[in-house]
Amino acid sequence: MSELAVEVKNLTKVFTLGLKKEYVVAIDNLSFEVKAGEVYGLIGPNGSGKSTTMKVVLGLMAPSKGEARVFGLDSGDIRARNEIGFLPENPYFYKHLTGAETLRFYGKLCGMRGRELENRVTELLKLVDLQGAANRRLGGYSKGMLQRIGLAQSLVQNPRLVILDEPTAGVDPIGSRQIRDLIMHLRDEGYTVFLCSHLLEQVQEVCDRVGILFQGRMRKEGRLEELISIEDQTTLTLEGASPELLARLHELVTSEPDARIVAEGHPRTSLEHLFIQIAERNREASK
Amino acid sequence: MNAESTASNPPLRAAARPVPLFSPGRVATIASGTVTQLVRMKTFYFLLAFALVVVAVGNFNLPATPAKELSMIKKVSFGTMDLFAWLFAIVATALLIPRDQEDRTLYTILSKPVRRIEYLLGKLCGVLVVVGVSLVIMYGICATMIGARESLFVSAEIEAMAANGGYSQEQIDEQVGLIRQQGLRPELGLAVLASFLKAAVVAAVTIFLSTFASSSLFTIIVSILIFLIGHAHTMASSFWLHSSDNSLFVQMLVKVVKILIPDFQLYSFSEGIVQGEAVAYALVGQMGLVTAGYLVVFLLLSLLVFVDKEF
Repeated sequence: MSELAVEVKNLTKVFTLGLKKEYVVAIDNLSFEVKAGEVYGLIGPNGSGKSTTMKVVLGLMAPSKGEARVFGLDSGDIRARNEIGFLPENPYFYKHLTGAETLRFYGKLCGMRGRELENRVTELLKLVDLQGAANRRLGGYSKGMLQRIGLAQSLVQNPRLVILDEPTAGVDPIGSRQIRDLIMHLRDEGYTVFLCSHLLEQVQEVCDRVGILFQGRMRKEGRLEELISIEDQTTLTLEGASPELLARLHELVTSEPDARIVAEGHPRTSLEHLFIQIAERNREASK
Repeated sequence: MNAESTASNPPLRAAARPVPLFSPGRVATIASGTVTQLVRMKTFYFLLAFALVVVAVGNFNLPATPAKELSMIKKVSFGTMDLFAWLFAIVATALLIPRDQEDRTLYTILSKPVRRIEYLLGKLCGVLVVVGVSLVIMYGICATMIGARESLFVSAEIEAMAANGGYSQEQIDEQVGLIRQQGLRPELGLAVLASFLKAAVVAAVTIFLSTFASSSLFTIIVSILIFLIGHAHTMASSFWLHSSDNSLFVQMLVKVVKILIPDFQLYSFSEGIVQGEAVAYALVGQMGLVTAGYLVVFLLLSLLVFVDKEF
């Protein structure tokens, strides 16, 4: 049995509103597991309880009922937080610090010092492609740069688990692609990634397993391809097919009693893909 | 992403290093971060205002004897220094924790292996370092001004007495001694220490308030109120508690206030030092212990509120 990075069991979180003794159930008897080394996506609309779940896993909130464990440790245990790197939805960092100072600050909080810390700062700035902005204050960073320095900050102590809350929220398509590539790189490096998002396309691209949260409850969970594949349909993409070949294929399909062609046409690129292609082409040309 | 790619994952990452129960290193990191934050917020600019006040007071010719004039310069300079120190301690402390909460920087700090007591202690230490450095600079400005005026007064007095004639060397020395007594003396450093200790207690009270207050403004106003009550409650309580007209409720209320609010009047021994009175060193030591007690109590109270606070 593979090691569990995150184990959430019968988690319930209830908030009391004001002094009126009104209660809001943010998470309702939620259970799920994230295995070590996988990319797990928790998806759901705004207010579905994703961020609250993350905060409980991070130890920033205590569960009303149930438990959350990180590599076998209670999420409230400080040792659990040494295993976690966290990238919040919006970049919550000191704007008076430069990129390199930010990484040093968080590295020192994790007990890193001296040469080890300096090497890690240099390595991470290179990883997130911010060497050129290392000595610029965060107040002058763009949203995409802030997300990237945030990601670097989350990795500073070499954690086993990286928690990303809406990692590409508010970032342009190119910045979004860079962050997505970084997440895939993390997965290849053996990190466990637990991300929350409502951007379904992004989750689909990077996650091994997903859980769908709605009104604080897990509605569906499983491997991505199992959840989204249509078992009785097959896609066949042809290149250079002549009209005659297509006609013969049509005949072949109609000769089968249970088979039919559901859709036919030319595959299209996504608008995002088209945008990135044009941007990259222009960038190359301007060089 | 698919099942095959998961199966071909690289080796999993090693477990993190152990986390000490309490880390002075983490406290120092938060403290130095706080110092950097306050310095880059250009808080030291208030020292310019202080320097202006001291220069203005130092160059104001009062119709008094040189000794009295020096005494006035010292009183105003040290009074302003004390005011700047406690006001700065309140404002700086009140801005830091609520701002971290509002900006949610606290999320990223507390999601690292940082204990909440380490965070509070780090913030307090950072503010105290800035207050301490500010007091040293302010003392430097004061000392320069008082020293210059003292030399000026002494040489003018000697010249005047010599010009008038008829004064023995003993009389001149006595007159110079009177001026020197109101001049720059090493004991004045203890008055600066008293201001620092008072500012430390004020900062600890402000940290406690900011753990549950919803805004910096509220924290600043309530901290100033507590500071003012703390200056007056010894006098007020002796009046209220010894008056037979007061009900049991009023007496209880006064006792509760006396327990909850630090007695800032204790630090007024510094006024005597500034006025040239003899220093009771035992009292200074006692004040150090009282301050340490207040700091421990208010930090524990802050932790009590902050430890289970959800973000």
